[in-house]
Amino acid sequence: MWFIRFIQSSIGKKWVMACSGFFLILFLCSHAAGNATLFSSVALFQAYANQLHSHPLIVSVFSKGLFLVFAIHIVTGSLLFLQNRKARSQGYRIHKRAIKNSQASATMIYSGIILLLFVLLHTYAVSFGNHGTIGATITRLFSSFFVSMFYIISFIGLAIHLSHGFWSMLQTFGINHPTYNSLIQRLSYIIPLFFLLIFGSIPLLFLFGTGQ
Amino acid sequence: MELKSNVPDGPLAEKWDKHRFSSKLVNPANRRKHKVIVVGTGLAGASASATLAEQGYEVSTFCIQDSPRRAHSIAAQGGINAAKNYQNDGDSVQRLFYDTIKGGDFRSREANVYRLAQVSNNIIDQCVAQGVPFAREYGGTLANRSFGGAQVSRTFYARGQTGQQLLLGAYSALSRQIKTGKVSIHSRQEMMELVLVDGKARGIVTRNIITGKLETHAADAVILATGGYGNAYFLSTNAMASNVTAAWRAHKKGAGFANPCFVQIHPTCIPVHGSFQSKLTLMSESLRNDGRVWVPATPGDTRKPASIPEEERDYYLESKYPSFGNLVPRDVASRNAKEQCDAGKGVGTTNLAVYLDFADAIRRDGKDTILKKYGNLFQMYEKITDSNPLYEPMMIYPAVHYTMGGLWVDYNLMTTIPGLFAIGECNFSDHGANRLGASALMQGLADGYFIVGTSIANYIGSTTLDEVSSDNPAFSDATREVENRIKRLLKSSEGGPEGKLTVDEIHKELGLLLWDYCGMARKREGLEKALLLLPKIQKKFWNRVYIPGKGKELNQSLERAGRLADFLEFAEIMFIDALEREESCGCHLREESQTEENEAKRDDASFSHVAVWEYQGDGARAKLHREELVFQNVTPSQRSYK
Amino acid sequence: MNTKSISLTLEIWRQKDSKSKGDFETYSLENISTGMSFLEMLDVLNETLTGRGLDPVAFDHDCREGICGMCGAVINGIAHGPEPETTLCQLHMRHFNDGDTLVIEPFRSRAFPIHKDLVTDRSALDRIIQAGGYVSVNTGGTPDGNTIPIPSATAELSMDAAACIGCGACIASCPNGAAMLFTGAKISQLSLLPQGQPERKQRAMAMVTTMDKEGFGNCTNERECEAVCPKGISITNIARMNREFVKAAMLG
Repeated sequence: MWFIRFIQSSIGKKWVMACSGFFLILFLCSHAAGNATLFSSVALFQAYANQLHSHPLIVSVFSKGLFLVFAIHIVTGSLLFLQNRKARSQGYRIHKRAIKNSQASATMIYSGIILLLFVLLHTYAVSFGNHGTIGATITRLFSSFFVSMFYIISFIGLAIHLSHGFWSMLQTFGINHPTYNSLIQRLSYIIPLFFLLIFGSIPLLFLFGTGQ
Repeated sequence: MELKSNVPDGPLAEKWDKHRFSSKLVNPANRRKHKVIVVGTGLAGASASATLAEQGYEVSTFCIQDSPRRAHSIAAQGGINAAKNYQNDGDSVQRLFYDTIKGGDFRSREANVYRLAQVSNNIIDQCVAQGVPFAREYGGTLANRSFGGAQVSRTFYARGQTGQQLLLGAYSALSRQIKTGKVSIHSRQEMMELVLVDGKARGIVTRNIITGKLETHAADAVILATGGYGNAYFLSTNAMASNVTAAWRAHKKGAGFANPCFVQIHPTCIPVHGSFQSKLTLMSESLRNDGRVWVPATPGDTRKPASIPEEERDYYLESKYPSFGNLVPRDVASRNAKEQCDAGKGVGTTNLAVYLDFADAIRRDGKDTILKKYGNLFQMYEKITDSNPLYEPMMIYPAVHYTMGGLWVDYNLMTTIPGLFAIGECNFSDHGANRLGASALMQGLADGYFIVGTSIANYIGSTTLDEVSSDNPAFSDATREVENRIKRLLKSSEGGPEGKLTVDEIHKELGLLLWDYCGMARKREGLEKALLLLPKIQKKFWNRVYIPGKGKELNQSLERAGRLADFLEFAEIMFIDALEREESCGCHLREESQTEENEAKRDDASFSHVAVWEYQGDGARAKLHREELVFQNVTPSQRSYK
Repeated sequence: MNTKSISLTLEIWRQKDSKSKGDFETYSLENISTGMSFLEMLDVLNETLTGRGLDPVAFDHDCREGICGMCGAVINGIAHGPEPETTLCQLHMRHFNDGDTLVIEPFRSRAFPIHKDLVTDRSALDRIIQAGGYVSVNTGGTPDGNTIPIPSATAELSMDAAACIGCGACIASCPNGAAMLFTGAKISQLSLLPQGQPERKQRAMAMVTTMDKEGFGNCTNERECEAVCPKGISITNIARMNREFVKAAMLG
C-alpha cells in the first residue's frame, strides 16, 4: 500500500517526524496558554483545570491522541537513530562538524531522551502523584528547589530540541525559500525562547514565592 | 595500407544526406543480435553508447574511471559551437564550416568538417531536450557568446562548466540505457589490447583496475572514444588518466595514426611552479580580451611587477601584432610567450611565465565591470596561486591542451582496421592542424550522437560477420600478450628499488624531451636529436623502472607504467611526423618554414595532406602514407595577424 | 606566490583490499612546498614510499581541477579538507602549518565499500541516476532548442543543482551517511526544467527508492552536506526533493 511504502522511505520517515513534531508544537501552544493562567493566580488555573475536566470525552480523546503522537515521534526518532548509526558501519577517527552551531542538531536524540524522561516524571507527578487539587499539587512540587531546577533544565532541553526541530520540520515539509528563510531563521530562535519563557518562569514564580 | 576516405560524391551540402541514403541499414529486429564495444565514456563515447543502445544494439561500454560521468570532457569550460544563427548575426552552416576549416589551417577534410557544421544544430536540440541547463536570455531563449575570436556569437554555454553539463546529459542518456539493460557498463577497466579475427576488430582485452584480472570481450564492432594523447608531455591540461594506450594498441594492430605531431598548446594556463607539479590548469582564453600581456624589457629583471615602470615593460604582442594585439590566435600567443621566456625575460620563480595584466582594464572600466566578466576566473586563479589578479598581474604560460592528431578515419569514422571506429578527440578528422575554441565538444557529440550510428549500421549491414566469442584463440593469444607485457613491466622491479627510477621520474623526462623538441616550434636539428635521445629514455624505462606491488591487484604505479610504456613508443611517431612535416601550420611553427617577418609559413604545394603512419613492427620505423587533401569549396589562404 | 616548506605528520588509513581489515599508518614528510596541492603532496609521499620499496597509498583522482569528482578523502574530520567549496585536488598546502598532523581517512559509508586505502566504490551513486536521473528522450527528433522558452532565473536555478560533481562528500560528511543532497540536486535540476515535467513523479519515486535501497542513511537535516559540498549545492534542493517525493507518493 502506498502509505506503508511512503512511511518506510527515508523521506517518509522524515515526514512522520515533522508531522508528529508539528502536532507536538500545537500541543505545547495549548499547554502554554493554559499554564499562562498561573501568571494570574493558582485559583484561576484551578478553575481552568476544573473546566477542562468537566468534559471527560475531550480529555480522553486529547490525551490518547497526544500519547499516540508522542509514541510515533519517539519510535520513529529512535528508529532513525538506529538505522543511521548502521549507515556508517565504520566511523571516522576524527569527528568534526563542518558547520557552526550544530550542537542542537547533533544532540536531538539526547535532548529528546531528556524530554521523554521529563514527560514521564511530569505526567506521573501531576496525575498519579496528584493528591488533592492540581493547584495544590503544583504549589507543593515547585516549592522544592530540586524539582523546580529539574523542570527548568528540562525546558532548556525543550528549547534546544525545538531550535533545530522547528526549522527541520519546515525543511522536511519543503519550506525553504530565500524570501522566507530569514523569517524562518528568526522564528527558530523566537519560538523555543517563547516556550522557555512561558514554561520556565512558572517554577521560578513559585520558587521565589510570588506564585499563589 | 590503403587510405580510402569514402567521401561521397556530389555537392558538399548534399554529401551527408546522400551518404545516409546509400548506407546500409540493419533491421530493427536484428540489431539486438549485434554487439558493439565502446571504449571511453566522454562526450563521444557516452553519446555513442546511448544512441546505439537506443537503436537496439547490445552495447558494452568501458571506462577507466569509477563512473562514466568522470571522463575528461567534463573539464571543458567555454562552450559548444552550433550554426543556429539565433543571434541573426550572419552565421550559417557554411560559415561554421569555413571558420573551422580555416581555423584548422586547411589540413582537414572538407566533407567531414561540413558534416560537423550540419549536425551541430541537432546537438543543441538534443542537449536541451535532455535537460542541459544552458544559459538563457531574460526572454527565455538560449544565450550565445562569441568565443575564440569568432566574428559571430555561436557558442552555447552553461556557465564555465559547459563540458560538465553536456557530459552529464550524455551520461544520463547512457544511464537510462544501462537501466534498460541494453548497455552493460564496465567501469574501472582499462583497455589493454585490441583483438582482430580475420583482419576485423572483434573485441578487446581489458584489465580490471581493482583486481588486476584480465578480461576478454567479443563484439561485432569496436568503437574507440579514448580521447587525446596530450599526457605524453607529462604536464598538460588533460586529466591524469588520459592516455594513448587504446589508440596505440590499435595502431600496432594495423590502424593508421594520422598527424601525431599536431598538438595544440594553449597560451593561458597557470604556470608550472615546481618539479612536483602534476598537471596544468587552463584559464579561459577570454581573459585576453581585457588583459595585456607583458614581460620586463630587460632579461633577468626580478623586480616586483608593480615596481617596473611602464617604459621598462615589453608589451610584445601589442608591438609585434599591432592590429590583433593581445588577441592573436592561440598558437601565436603561445609561441611568443615561449620566445620571451627563452630570451630570459620570463617572470615568476621558474622564469617560465609572462604577465597578463588587468590594471589598465580596471582603470578604464572599473573593478566591478572586470569582476563581473572574470570574477569566477580570478577566484579560480587565486585559489590555486594565492594571488589576486585585481592587485597583481596574473602569470600565465602555455600548456599542452588538445591533440588534433589521432587515429586515421574515413568518412564513416572507421579506421584502417575494418570494424574499428574512432570518435571524438581520439580520431584526427575535423580540426586539421588547429582546433577552434568550443569545437571539441561539438565534434565529440556529433560523432557520438549523429554519425557513428549510421556507420555502425552500414558496417554491420554490409559485412559478413561470423560468430565470434571470447573463446576464440585470438582472445587467448591477446590475453597472453598482455600478460607478458605486464610481466615485462614488472621485471625490472624484482631486485628492489635500489638505483631504480619511479614511473613519474621517467615520464617527466619524456615530457621534457617532447616539450623541448616537439612543442610550439620545431626544427630538423632538434627533432633528429630527440630521435637519438628517445631510445635512451626507453631503455632506461625498461631497465630501471621500479613498480611496487603485483599485477593482480589495484596497482596505480603499474597502471601508470603501462601507459608510459605506450607513450614512449608513441613519442617516436610524434617526432618523425614532426620531422617529416617541413612546414609551419596550425599550432606549430617549423623554424625552417617562416616568412620574412618570422611568421609561420604553410607549404600547400608539398604538405596539403594528412600524414598517416603505419606500424611496421618493433624497432622498425613507421611507414608514411599520405591522404591528399582536396579543396573544392574553399581556397586555402595564408593567415596574417600583423 | 610566496611559498615555503613545511613538515607534516600524516596518519593515513591503509587497507589492502575490500576484505582486509585496515588501520592507520603514520608517515612524516618534510620539505612540502606550500604551493603544492594536497594530491601533489600525496604524490610526493608516494614517490618517497616507492623509493623505499613500500606500497604507495592508493587514492582516486583524475582531472585535478575540481570538476570530475573523482578525488576525495576526509582530512582531520572534514570531507575534502578545511577550505570551503574546494575539492581535495584544489586544496593547497598553504592552508596547513608547519608541524601539523593530518589524519587522512577514506569517504566512509555503508554504501561506499573500500577497494583499497582511500579508494572507495561509489557506484551506488550511478545506480541512483540510472533509476531515473534523466529525461527519456532518444537521440534525434527533438524539437528546436528555442521551442520552449525557459526563464533565465529558472535555468540558473537548475544549473545551481546541476553543478553537482558526484564526488560523494555530502554522504561522507553526513552524520547519517545520507545521499539526499546528491539525489535532491538531480531531482531538482530536472523538475525545474520543462523538459523534466513528463517524468517528474516517476523520477522522484524511483530515485528516492533506489537511494534507500543502496544503504544510505536517513536525512535528519544536519546541513553537513551543504557545508562540505565543493560546488556549494544548497539544501534547498533537498527541500525541493521532499516536496517532489511527497507529491509523487500521495498524488501518484
